[in-house]
Amino acid sequence: MRMSKTPMTIQVLSLRYAIVAVVFLGLSGIEGLFMRTQLSNVSLSIPFLISTPMAAEHYYAMLTAHPIVGAYGWAYLAVFAAFYFLVPTLLKKPLYSIRLANAHMWMHIVGIMTVWCAGYFLKFGSLYTVYWPLPVARFSPISVVVFAVGLTLVELSVLCFIFNIFATVLKRSASDPLSKGVALRSLLMASFGLDTVSRFLSQLLGRRTALNGGTPGPGPEPLPVFVVAVMRGSIDAVLNAVVIAGAGVLMLVFALPALLIGLSMNPLIVDPLVYKNVFWWGLDMIADGDVLIWTAGTLYLLAPMLANRELYGEKIVRYVILTDLIVSMGVWSHHLLSDRPQPELMRLISGQFITWGEFFTMGLSFFSALMTLWLARPIKLSMPLKFMLLGIMGFGLGGASGLLQANYAVNLIMHNTQWVPGFHIHQMLLTGLSSILFAAIYALLPMLTGTGLKSNRLSNLHFWLWAIGGVGMAFSMGLAWRDGMLRRTLYPGVELYLPYMNAAMFFGIVLALGFLAFLANLIRTYGLRTLIGLFIPSVAKAK
Amino acid sequence: MVEVERTEKRYFFVLVMIALTINLITLSPLVPWQGWLYWSTPTPTKVFHISISNYQFTLPPEGIVIKVGEPVKFIVTSSDVTYGFGVFYKSGRMLFQIQVLPGYSNEIIWIFDQAGSYTIRSTEYSGPQHSSMVIPDAITVVT
Repeated sequence: MRMSKTPMTIQVLSLRYAIVAVVFLGLSGIEGLFMRTQLSNVSLSIPFLISTPMAAEHYYAMLTAHPIVGAYGWAYLAVFAAFYFLVPTLLKKPLYSIRLANAHMWMHIVGIMTVWCAGYFLKFGSLYTVYWPLPVARFSPISVVVFAVGLTLVELSVLCFIFNIFATVLKRSASDPLSKGVALRSLLMASFGLDTVSRFLSQLLGRRTALNGGTPGPGPEPLPVFVVAVMRGSIDAVLNAVVIAGAGVLMLVFALPALLIGLSMNPLIVDPLVYKNVFWWGLDMIADGDVLIWTAGTLYLLAPMLANRELYGEKIVRYVILTDLIVSMGVWSHHLLSDRPQPELMRLISGQFITWGEFFTMGLSFFSALMTLWLARPIKLSMPLKFMLLGIMGFGLGGASGLLQANYAVNLIMHNTQWVPGFHIHQMLLTGLSSILFAAIYALLPMLTGTGLKSNRLSNLHFWLWAIGGVGMAFSMGLAWRDGMLRRTLYPGVELYLPYMNAAMFFGIVLALGFLAFLANLIRTYGLRTLIGLFIPSVAKAK
Repeated sequence: MVEVERTEKRYFFVLVMIALTINLITLSPLVPWQGWLYWSTPTPTKVFHISISNYQFTLPPEGIVIKVGEPVKFIVTSSDVTYGFGVFYKSGRMLFQIQVLPGYSNEIIWIFDQAGSYTIRSTEYSGPQHSSMVIPDAITVVT
């Protein structure tokens, strides 16, 4: 690997993002394990840093940082790593700005670490849900300010990524026949999935339509389906970033006067139900938009790549991407099924029926990917393929449990129990999303560095430990629902839930060992100096 | 028009059937509480007002005693942050829960079908002292 001599290619950029993502996955995992030991009543200590059992305020501060480090640190940065390489490569265009990409990576890191510091040093613990007015009612103004600044930096970084990707797709060469206006319109239509509608209408009506530009003559070539999914997910990422950053600004509006001049405003002048609706509308774009559609996009790319044939049912997939737009904008009420003041019609339509749209969009995406592989048999069961199949299984299990809890009737006995973080969230994020991201990493590393990971044994160990640990931990946590164990709740002195939590801790350790196998393989293949040299070239040169 | 292969059509049909079946079953009175929460609104024989403030539940001074099979209404309010109102069996299993939004009247009608003592616990995180928001034997259900 010679990235140290050409430090700012998209390959090096992608590798930097990937390495930072892996570090954040490790950090999130350490937090997770400490919380598992707390729930299992096990004493553990890292001198001068942390010991369990920890005080409740420390536990909840960790619980606040954990998903932010995991989602924005690991998942988002791994996605950025893949897309910063794949989008320019597939479109045969240079990245709009490598400098911007590099700069916002650091902004992202600073943002996440600021959020982490708000928890570790200032004990900010309103959880990632930051239900109004909890942040400003229960926590010190300085902790609110630090948390909000960190969160806003992360979201600004996300916006920089979206800008850079959109600008890359829009970037025109001298030989490009399209005007900038047509290119922009084409890009926006593709992002919202409207290019599919346009083509459908023009075929139906036998002519070009206003939606399609309204002008005769050849239109722009359809973007690759992977790029369309990236752009579609990016729309959700923008909306998510604006809403979450908005929540950060709202916290600042209340916390800064309290911090600077001791002025306390009544937080209930902001309606908690309206806030909850807006917040979940935006926050859900991560789960139901970004996670699902960016993942689906990765499948649309990986499946044909691994099968060496065209994506099965690509035309349908383009409609799936459009449908997902409607679904992701309308599902947020499934988080408010237990809020009785929320209008019943919204709980039923947005909360339950539209959520079932994901059953169809993801069901068809998986079907398309699996059929692509099936039709290409015999096919080599490579490491990316193994992780891809594990990811599909994780999404299947986690998605099914999510549909059950997003049910008008069932939610009443499931909301905020261990079912949610166990069967649904950790299954989706560890077995589902993370496996798909590992599949992408295993597939992309040879393209980025010229060589794949050295040890097949360590790769296989990574795969099996990750699969067993991920599924086992999710099931152990989820089963505690049967005995009424709540999420986000400590049970000091209660032994009823210890068998579930001990099993979850065991499988959490298995998961961590899988991660360590991957890390060892990475370091063994490329060398620690080379990996550090990605960020500090002088370290690699000193080799 | 979009060409849809026969396999895709069959698969889509299976998805539609699964979605329809689960939605119809869970909306129907086959789920016991759907009968009184969605399909009809029985007149409650008793109404219990419960307020929450600064991590503390305030229950009706006369206590909460209910007969098996009678519809009762819980009206729960919060004066500061969002809490949860969950009712649990003695074994720890959850019977039902709702969110308690400040500034709103959070109401639910319930019909208990088993006699015994029930625990009330906040089911929504409301700050570091949230875990202590539990009142064992807060509800007594008699035959």
